[in-house]
Amino acid sequence: MDDLTREFLLESQEGLDRMERCLTELESHPADAELLAEIFRAVHTIKGTTGFLGFARLEALSHSGENLLGLLREGRLAATAEIVSGLLGLLDRLRSILRAIETSGSEGAGGEGDRELTARLEALQREEVEADLPAPEPPPAAAAPPAPRSPSPRKVSPRRKAAPASGEAGPQRDTPAPLPAAEPSRPEASASSTGADSTLRVEVELLNRMMNLVGELVLTRNQILQATGADARFAPLGRRLDMVTADLREAVMRARMQPVSHVFSRFPRLVRDLAHGLGKHVRLELQGQETELDKSLLEAIRDPLTHAIRNAIDHGIELPAARAAAGKAGEGMVRLRARHEGSHVIVEVEDDGAGIDVARIREKAVERSLIPAARAEQMSDRELLQLIFLPGFSTAAAVTSISGRGVGMDVVRTNVEKIGGKVEIDSLSGRGTTLRLRIPLTLAIIPAIIVRSCGQNFALPQSPLLELVHLHAAEISERIEWLGNAPLYRLRGRLLPLVFLDRLLQQPERSAESGCDIAVLNADGRRFGLVVHGVADPEEIVVKPIAAVLRGIGFYAGATILGNGEMALILHPGAIAQSLGVGLSAETEEAEEHLARPGLEEFLLVEAAGRRRALSLETVVRIERIARSAVEYVDSRPVLRFEKSLLPLDDAAQDLTATADAEAPTTVVVCRDGGRHVGITVSQVLDVAGGQALEEAGSGAVSPGVALLHERVTDVVRLTDLPQLPDAVAAEEQLPAEVEA
Amino acid sequence: MNPSRATDEVCSVRVEGTLFGIPIAHVLEILGKPALQPVPLAPYFIGGLVHYRGEVLAAVSLRRLLGLDPAPKPEDVLVFESADGPFGLLVDSVGEVLHVSAADHEPNPSTLENRRQTLFAGAWKLKDQLLVTLDPARLDPMRLLQSLPG
Repeated sequence: MDDLTREFLLESQEGLDRMERCLTELESHPADAELLAEIFRAVHTIKGTTGFLGFARLEALSHSGENLLGLLREGRLAATAEIVSGLLGLLDRLRSILRAIETSGSEGAGGEGDRELTARLEALQREEVEADLPAPEPPPAAAAPPAPRSPSPRKVSPRRKAAPASGEAGPQRDTPAPLPAAEPSRPEASASSTGADSTLRVEVELLNRMMNLVGELVLTRNQILQATGADARFAPLGRRLDMVTADLREAVMRARMQPVSHVFSRFPRLVRDLAHGLGKHVRLELQGQETELDKSLLEAIRDPLTHAIRNAIDHGIELPAARAAAGKAGEGMVRLRARHEGSHVIVEVEDDGAGIDVARIREKAVERSLIPAARAEQMSDRELLQLIFLPGFSTAAAVTSISGRGVGMDVVRTNVEKIGGKVEIDSLSGRGTTLRLRIPLTLAIIPAIIVRSCGQNFALPQSPLLELVHLHAAEISERIEWLGNAPLYRLRGRLLPLVFLDRLLQQPERSAESGCDIAVLNADGRRFGLVVHGVADPEEIVVKPIAAVLRGIGFYAGATILGNGEMALILHPGAIAQSLGVGLSAETEEAEEHLARPGLEEFLLVEAAGRRRALSLETVVRIERIARSAVEYVDSRPVLRFEKSLLPLDDAAQDLTATADAEAPTTVVVCRDGGRHVGITVSQVLDVAGGQALEEAGSGAVSPGVALLHERVTDVVRLTDLPQLPDAVAAEEQLPAEVEA
Repeated sequence: MNPSRATDEVCSVRVEGTLFGIPIAHVLEILGKPALQPVPLAPYFIGGLVHYRGEVLAAVSLRRLLGLDPAPKPEDVLVFESADGPFGLLVDSVGEVLHVSAADHEPNPSTLENRRQTLFAGAWKLKDQLLVTLDPARLDPMRLLQSLPG
């Protein structure tokens, strides 16, 4: 295939993708001139190019489409459902021909199908034209019956000006002229050409290579920074290198990013066709279309998403009658939503259909001996729902109708996990189902902390890391408790299952007892503590695939080369949790349930001066452990100074005055109150809990100062009650001079 | 041309007392005493990871394959290509390139113990000693995983 044809295929496919998007939108906005212009342009471009490439079928078909679109564009025709269907039919046929050209190099035979389609498109315009006849002075162009065989000079579309220059004016055949009125107007043409001037098509392979090279550069940068760290002359150079590398990496990554709309755009059509076919009314909502994702990852989620949407419409959304009986709107809703969350993109497929019956899942899973009955009884609803991702479960056709989610969910999971992503599902029976895909932004470079176990370095990805707890040697035997053979740690009153990395990896026993660190991890809802012998600095690591022979071990997500030149294996927290049977945490479930129920707010539960108090979690910025001696006073009010900013303290715990020992540590919860930050001393941080606002009996007014937490009425600290700092300081929080004065 | 008179260039390597020969055409690169990172839970014949041109390779340990004690000092690594990408082979030391004649090659004796039967590809008869033939395809870690489980 020559370059010209290849470019034509690419351009046409992109045009058709746009056309599809616009067509489905056109159904709800039949008079939108911009949509019509966009559709017209796509068809016109194909027609304009096919002539000298010698694709007669494409040319004839796009010509009849163009005639119909011309009428629509002039407003002489309204875009009815039939017309949209006709144009979608045209779109499909054009696509299949393009596909044939791509694989075989030729269009193949059109035959009866082409003739029928042409006739259909002609009928659509003729009907309307006839109906329009009484209109005064129909322009001759519109009134002229389509004449596919009438010879007239052919015009080359302005966008293809460059093509004849390549010497291919040859197969110019006499073809019907597009209706004069149907020519794209000048402004349109110039607009599209400016677009073409500022963008460039780049081989994905080249971008991949650039990304690899940037990975190597990041590695070298890390090594240089470590090697020269002690030398003051290198410091500014090192910083500069650091910045440039980071910017370059960002730029290359950006170059690989595409908005998710590239994938989303095909779904309106899918939803429309599926819904029509099933006699259901479904509205598709798209949110966060501008969210960008690495191109290769975008390609990888195309199929899983298609499958999820198909399932949502097929099995999730009920027939209109059933919906009415359930008291829902007749029109079902499928919402496709993308958003960034840290180093991940979350894509959700949500429907307001029948939901999944968890009890039936439990039944079926036991029946098919996927899990033992005893285990099934212990499993939470959320855990049970995840069972539909098991191969044995979801391929069972008999389950389809009750699961409400159809077959092949295991395939969805496999595809998403292949790219380092995660899938989870939430469902409320009768209310709907949400399938959540968690996709990493990029596969190449991730932030990680380096942990040590028996003298060996391992990289632990930072995204599942919640916190680090350090235990001194003397504390270990006391703080790590055992229940049978299960080691546990009490984290703010809750038992956290522990995994000793050295035992997991069967490393030699450590002889000398020294302190250890517990990395508290949340690997996709599985919470556990990974016990390691030490933690080094965080580092951005370049993920290298691990040799095939080592993949079977399962605990490693890859390997990397650290800044000091050493190699390290990258741990895979999810796989570690799963292999040890760490269950999905009930805590996460509670939290999500709370969030799902409106009127519930999350609070940080603390103990201060012997009382339980609550702080709205939304306002909490961070928790600090400080020495009492770090507290300074302004007009006898306690403050903390961080570099150049000043934090007023509320001594709720009466901790600052209680003891005389200046070095004894105290805990400060830093909260955001409007534009300022304030600190509150507490004796202990207890928990995070969902709380409900309470109403005053009789009046029904919400009492802002209290909330119901864990079934106990708890004081909520009202940050606004904290007095402002004395004027001179409060006017501007960043005034170090006043502090020192 | 008489094929029996054709000569091959062979890279000689030594592990304890034994001299091995690997056709030089198979060798992508020789890494002199690179840093080796152990891999907990890896199959027994994997000596560790080595860094090779921005990639992290698994290195097969010839000593471990032969059931010998760990090397007393850092080892050299030869890099070969396999269907799953390049891999390394840890040997005590890499020696000179020798010219051997196909006519001097003989297959494994039937009395050779089983494991070595699968690893060795015969030997060349040198003037003063035998040069055991190694075929990188037989040392491909994925293949070893299947042929030498445990």
